[in-house]
Amino acid sequence: MFGVQAAMRRETARSREALYRLAYAWCHDAGLADDLVQETLLRALDRSEQLRDPARLKSWLCSILANCLRDHYRRLRACVDIDELDEAVLGHDQTPEAAHTSAQLVARVRAEVGRLPLGQRQVLTLVDLEGCSYAEVAEILTVPIGTVMSRLCRARATLKERLLDAAPESARRDDANKIRIVR
Amino acid sequence: MKTEHDVSREMQSAYVDGEVDQADWGRIAGHLGRDEALRAEVCGIRTVKDLVQGAYAVPPQAPRRGAAGGRRWAAIAALCLVSASAGWLLHAALAPDVSVTEAALAEGASLREVSNERVVLHVSTSRRETLQTALDDVEEVLRAAARRGRRIEIEIVANSSGLELLRADTSPFPARIASLRAQYSNLTLVACNQTIDRLREKGVMVRLLPGVQSAPTALDQIVKRLQGGWAYVRA
Repeated sequence: MFGVQAAMRRETARSREALYRLAYAWCHDAGLADDLVQETLLRALDRSEQLRDPARLKSWLCSILANCLRDHYRRLRACVDIDELDEAVLGHDQTPEAAHTSAQLVARVRAEVGRLPLGQRQVLTLVDLEGCSYAEVAEILTVPIGTVMSRLCRARATLKERLLDAAPESARRDDANKIRIVR
Repeated sequence: MKTEHDVSREMQSAYVDGEVDQADWGRIAGHLGRDEALRAEVCGIRTVKDLVQGAYAVPPQAPRRGAAGGRRWAAIAALCLVSASAGWLLHAALAPDVSVTEAALAEGASLREVSNERVVLHVSTSRRETLQTALDDVEEVLRAAARRGRRIEIEIVANSSGLELLRADTSPFPARIASLRAQYSNLTLVACNQTIDRLREKGVMVRLLPGVQSAPTALDQIVKRLQGGWAYVRA
């Protein structure tokens, strides 16, 4: 039984960290990400009877997080197509800059992920950060698996173009290191 | 997009993510052995995947997190997990520092159905009907308890848009709350400081109703109460 306890505590601690990382990757606002995770866990507590299979905890929490974010944006802007949310919500005036250091590279990748439409950003980060299967992502975001694949494909193509293909030209832009995510 | 092979970009991604079946895997691996352009595409996808993983390996810390925060998060997540599991796991699986009874979880219960002596009522919506029902329930439970000489404590914890209930400038029921407070000393009102901070960041001057206390976050307060054996009810 102690083994079960330890496993659960490990799992839940991991869930919290993973949810925060995911929430941050979706909204790029540490304060908002924290609020979303708080709301997610409170909703989860409220609806925990819905989770029949503890093995599905991660997917279940991710789907609640996705709903929390959608609700947040709905409150922010009535009637909005989640797939259209991009710079309007995560606007910034960042231009590609040289990745001289890993911190700069991190900032640049985050900025480019932030420029993706939210639907693409969610699929990309669920797959790459959470290691979700395509089927899990489809379930979490309630979209067909074909949509998962096409969003993922478009997201990666865009990132590849902006981060890899455009790198030599942008490497000279030393003055554009500041990343500003507008809340 | 290269056309000499029939490996679509979707399939290239699926290959990198381990999402192709054995037959497709073999077919794509075969193409990769022969097609340098395809190799470059797949390599690019892998690089992008690595970059994305690296970019969020250490997300920035959220502002103002207390030292106990992590443990409390784990505690509430444990509550979710445990209460979703088979009932027999409940007592055995809870961490020692989370002394929560089965009744405390009060799954989906309304305030009137909870038999606990201490109840935390979580308000996170500004829907007028919900707030009205919540106050009706609070009043009814407090009145019934007083009539029967039953000991009860109720704490209303408000965050997110639910904070409107406890704000002097937005509360739809300020007089009613003042009257409840005057009548029942066993009713406490707690506002989430994190919500207040976020409003202030947006330039909103937040004034709370008289007698409203505050807690660092609603979640901290709720978990503290759960750990103390209170029941949780959501408005």
